[in-house]
Amino acid sequence: MYAVLHPSNFFAQAAAHQRPELRKRSFVVLDGEPPTELVFAANHAARSQGVEIGMTRLQAEAFSGVATLRRVIEHEHTAHATLHHVACMFSPRIESVEEQPGTYALDIRGMDLLYGDAGELASKLRRSVMAAGFLANIAVAENFHAAVSLACGRTGVSVVPSGCEAHAMGQLPVTALHLAPEHEATFAAWGIRTCAELAALAETDLIARLGQAGKKLHSLACGAWPHLMFPIEPSFEAGLVERMELDFPIEELERLLFLFSRMTAALLERVRGKARAIAALRVVLRLDGGAQHERTVRPALPLQDTATLLKLVQLDLETHPPSAGIVSLELHAQSAEPYRAQHGLFLPQAPEPGQLEVMLARMRKLLGEQRVGSPELTDDHRPNAFRMVSFEPPPPRQSERQSLSTPVALRVSRPPHMVGVALANHAPVRVFWDGAAYFVRDAAGPVRVSGQWWSEATWCREEWDVRLENGTTERLCRIAFDPRSRCWYLQGTYD
Amino acid sequence: MPSASAIRVQIESTLAQRVPAALTLKIKQAPEVFASGMAEVDAMLSGGIPRGTITEVSGPSSTGKTSFALCTLASITQLGNACAWVDVSDALSPETAAASGVELRRLLWLRMSAERRMKLADKPWSRLEQALKATDLVLQTGGFAVVVLDMSDVLPQHTQRIPLGTWYRFRLAAEHARTALVFLTQSPCASSCATLSLRCEPASVAPFSSEGKTPLFERQQYQFARERNRNEGSPFMQRKPAQRVSWLAETLWSRVR
Repeated sequence: MYAVLHPSNFFAQAAAHQRPELRKRSFVVLDGEPPTELVFAANHAARSQGVEIGMTRLQAEAFSGVATLRRVIEHEHTAHATLHHVACMFSPRIESVEEQPGTYALDIRGMDLLYGDAGELASKLRRSVMAAGFLANIAVAENFHAAVSLACGRTGVSVVPSGCEAHAMGQLPVTALHLAPEHEATFAAWGIRTCAELAALAETDLIARLGQAGKKLHSLACGAWPHLMFPIEPSFEAGLVERMELDFPIEELERLLFLFSRMTAALLERVRGKARAIAALRVVLRLDGGAQHERTVRPALPLQDTATLLKLVQLDLETHPPSAGIVSLELHAQSAEPYRAQHGLFLPQAPEPGQLEVMLARMRKLLGEQRVGSPELTDDHRPNAFRMVSFEPPPPRQSERQSLSTPVALRVSRPPHMVGVALANHAPVRVFWDGAAYFVRDAAGPVRVSGQWWSEATWCREEWDVRLENGTTERLCRIAFDPRSRCWYLQGTYD
Repeated sequence: MPSASAIRVQIESTLAQRVPAALTLKIKQAPEVFASGMAEVDAMLSGGIPRGTITEVSGPSSTGKTSFALCTLASITQLGNACAWVDVSDALSPETAAASGVELRRLLWLRMSAERRMKLADKPWSRLEQALKATDLVLQTGGFAVVVLDMSDVLPQHTQRIPLGTWYRFRLAAEHARTALVFLTQSPCASSCATLSLRCEPASVAPFSSEGKTPLFERQQYQFARERNRNEGSPFMQRKPAQRVSWLAETLWSRVR
């Protein structure tokens, strides 16, 4: 048994729903890019004045007292959501009728214990829809298509007893069956105007003239065309939310961990039910005073482990603590396919993704965000130019061994140490560094480097490679003279 | 009178709970090693640095510790392994690492905070402490083939004050995770915990090249001496390797020449 609710003239009702003062006036809804806007929908009062769908803006404005509105898609979404919400109160199985915007078909089998018989249910449904601000026709029938056609074609509540669909639909015009234009023209030529006249035709003769479409139209007119229901599934992703309100503000994170644990476990339970894993967790903390603290934990790979996710949330919140006491918690999860890897006996070992993620979070807490990761060289001529990226080792794979000579490694001084240098013939002969004096045994240079003269990040210096000696120790260093500050710096040590 | 074998079985079964197979010779496995990629050094080390143990590379500045470590990392990352570099002084040059052949995406670089512009002679306790904690965490995570703890710029008096228990803990963790733990220090500090101990010595000094108009630093000779190698007594070694080896490193610009 199906109950269909159909708000007639849905787009006009959706527009009036946002501006109730327009209900008693005539108005039209315009759609399209100015200045070529066309009338998209009009209420009953406007149509009775002579306004038609498809008129231009100027034509519509020629009618006195007709208000013009622009079409707002968001208002239509809101109207859809409102009607869906009302329908959800009467049945868990609801299908949206795509041909008729705003029309919903409810499977009301077994609902009589809650709402009485079909007639009572239809009346209650109509009252609820009216309370929500819409005027809708309700039809109840055993056949889905019959119910849809009756809801679209009859005003008010129509309840069809089982087996009487053909009789009930008999008075409806054939256009209520959503005919194709060529079929409409054919029936007009034949003089068929109502469903009863169409149902009275012999099925085989109709098929001989219209093909298989004839069979479908004949069954529809008899109220016997079968339908497979596809109920609307609530969005899985939108449902991955856990909320918790606290009685009083809490500042210590440790006290909230058991709540986080429970919420994460509940989310994981739902996610596991769909054979998926959690790819990201968004923590929204509402703070005392109205502020909001939001953090997102995004492990490198989707996880199915409560302990790991909880540890990541804890470490992230400890690194970025909220500024005030917490009054409510929200956890939003994002699901993804779980990580699966094909391991091999002869492949090199790699860190386990979950443990690696927790370790990196701990390291970020211990050392700082920018001090943990992999270096990545940047496309820059500035010496020692690099940036830190997150450590995500590619899958173990052997690469071609390059046969390069061993380079002399430079240990960089960050930041460069200032040193004193004595010159002779424009070349360094003595270096004073860290309270010790060094003789320059060998010096190579100067190598002049400069760049980015067009910005404030300009650099310019003369670099020397020097071998320093002070009797006991010997060092091989790179020193540089900065002409702007007129100082010598130790850039690094070769080791 | 029971035979010797019967007595042996009896003793072993009595001690089985405390010492399993007390009187049976333990079959020694060939040590698993990672090649450093330098033929001379690998020959001295009987294949490379051992896995699951501590290797200590010590010596003053400019004696090739970092060059050796980077070259080793290069050959290990090219095998597809993940490695970590715990940098106490934040001194690693990614350019040099890339030039050595290290796959940077497989390298986890942990830079200790050096926010204060203090001299090295000042107490670097916070950075050392951070580095030891970080090394501990990396070893506990497991899955890293090599972890390099770079303490090259930390003065010996500071490294020697690290409790010996730390090195014992690291040795056990490295063994458990099958990770080669490499220390770069100015003087040896891990004592008996290190399976392999290398001393870097100043080698013969080659003057800067003066082929062009101006002198140019082109290459440097380094020398390694093997102080300790616990795997030396292994029956798998055919002959005793050399105690000391010299190797050559070139600057990046000399490759272009």
